[in-house]
Amino acid sequence: MTKVVNPRRPMRYSTKHHLGNALFLLPTIALFVFVVLIPFFQGIPYSFLRWKDLINEPTPYFSADNTLMEKVVLSLKSYNYLFTTKPFLTSLGVTFNFTGLYLLFSNLLGFSLALLIKKSSRFNNFSRTAFFLPFTTSVTAGAIIWAYLYSDIYGPLMGVVSPLYTDNTTVLAMAVMASWRDMGYCMLIYIAALQTISLDYYEAATVEGANRWQQFVHITIPMIVPAFTTNITLILAWGLRTFDLPMVVSQNRAAGQTAAFYIYDQIFQNRGASVGQAAAIILTLILIVLTQIITRVLRRLEVEA
Amino acid sequence: MTGAPQKIRMYNPNSIMHRKKVLSSAARIVLVSILLILVLMPFYVAILYAFKPVNEVTANRLMFTQNPTLSNFKSVIFQNKFFLTGYRNSIINTIPTVLLLMAITSMSAWVLARNNGPVYNLLYLILSLGLLIPFQCFELPLFINWRNLGMDSTNIGFIIARSGLQISISLVAVTGFVKTVPRELEQAANIDGCNRFQTFWKVVFPLMTPINVTQLVLNSLFIWNDYSTSVILLRKAESKSLTLAQIQYFNGKTTELNPAFAFFIMSMIPILTLYLICQKQIISGITAGAVKG
Repeated sequence: MTKVVNPRRPMRYSTKHHLGNALFLLPTIALFVFVVLIPFFQGIPYSFLRWKDLINEPTPYFSADNTLMEKVVLSLKSYNYLFTTKPFLTSLGVTFNFTGLYLLFSNLLGFSLALLIKKSSRFNNFSRTAFFLPFTTSVTAGAIIWAYLYSDIYGPLMGVVSPLYTDNTTVLAMAVMASWRDMGYCMLIYIAALQTISLDYYEAATVEGANRWQQFVHITIPMIVPAFTTNITLILAWGLRTFDLPMVVSQNRAAGQTAAFYIYDQIFQNRGASVGQAAAIILTLILIVLTQIITRVLRRLEVEA
Repeated sequence: MTGAPQKIRMYNPNSIMHRKKVLSSAARIVLVSILLILVLMPFYVAILYAFKPVNEVTANRLMFTQNPTLSNFKSVIFQNKFFLTGYRNSIINTIPTVLLLMAITSMSAWVLARNNGPVYNLLYLILSLGLLIPFQCFELPLFINWRNLGMDSTNIGFIIARSGLQISISLVAVTGFVKTVPRELEQAANIDGCNRFQTFWKVVFPLMTPINVTQLVLNSLFIWNDYSTSVILLRKAESKSLTLAQIQYFNGKTTELNPAFAFFIMSMIPILTLYLICQKQIISGITAGAVKG
């Protein structure tokens, strides 16, 4: 093996250098291990235990004799329960429906807005600031305003009841709220991608006689596939873990209950901590698998383009 | 070389091309304006109702009131006992968290961007895993651990948990940025006899200002508006944040709509100010991080 020497590097690093690095990394690693890594691994066995009430039980949980935790170690009961009863599967269905609509709306709107205001001008810059504004609100505040818009303004105007409280439109109404908030974020990413496309391509295509639609399909779309990848994976991850919205707008109605809300409900309100934890692990697996698949597919498109 | 003469023809004000262009840009402005009205509508309604007297709620829903009043704001401040506590808690929770995140992620991002090797790559991979795991996986273990340590319903407990949960997102963005910063200045500082801490704080850290400002604003936004972590860790009344205090208005009572909107407006002021001051940096920061993936 030949040693590749990078001429820009001063020389090979000493132990002292690596020790210095360790000091710089230490606070981040410590915090990450304490808040993310340990709880993550700790949570896996929880899903295999049988667990009594967590919140309302007066005695602390890990008392010396562990009496509150019936240690039926490695019981698959929680997983079995999730897949044999309806609520969790229903909540997964709601989550997928919601995520699908949310992906469609926020990307479609974000992309259209980006096409409309991609050039920098005073009006366009103002519009960008305004379209991003909803992203600065909290989901809870946005939900309160939208619920009111639906029930007291949209409702009487159209002569219908609020779509938020009609079972078969709840998910749609929630997706509209979420897309209103997040399309500005998608828009910014699309604008940045559009601005990186060199004008030479369009000039060359004009010379060759391509019309604007052909230019859009054969130049613009292929050139911004990376932005599609970013936005789709981002919104997918946000959509699958949507919790605030159902928590605010549809607390105990199955029609609006997402998987993330089901998990919270099981752990903190329904005396089913291990069931909730098992559901959380399933949700995590779904999220990782879906993200990987979508990233792979889109990356392949990038290569072809 | 036919490009140049064609260009001249395109910008001839008398040509059909030019007229088409003016028309299409006018249509674009009209369309964007309509979209702006739709998107900003919820904000308009919020302002409208916050200044409306309570007895006028159902009268002219979309018109500005003839008798604007501050009574809704006063009733939120003086009668809602969670408002001021929530405001205080949200400030105490947000500021230390974003500053802590800035300090620790910029230090580690520098090391991870400048060193290549199996150990560093593995570390980066593990630290970015936090992006993939949803918070729902941590709810139960975090709650149990924080309760056993006596850190639930405390500001310090929230700060530690929230910054830990935010590390991956910030670290990936900051590391991406540092990779684009040339290392010549660091080497010069090194030759001039700066040790690593001096090099970092005096040379590298100032160069990272654009991404640090972006992260500061974005993290403030995420933490100020946080709901899922707060609802798990801030369970006692006196520890509730603004977002939690706001939920009480979601009970469908029309009588509380006006104070609810006054609450909303007041709770948005700090984050909105920050956004409007730093908007250029946020926009460039989001897009820079995103395109590089």
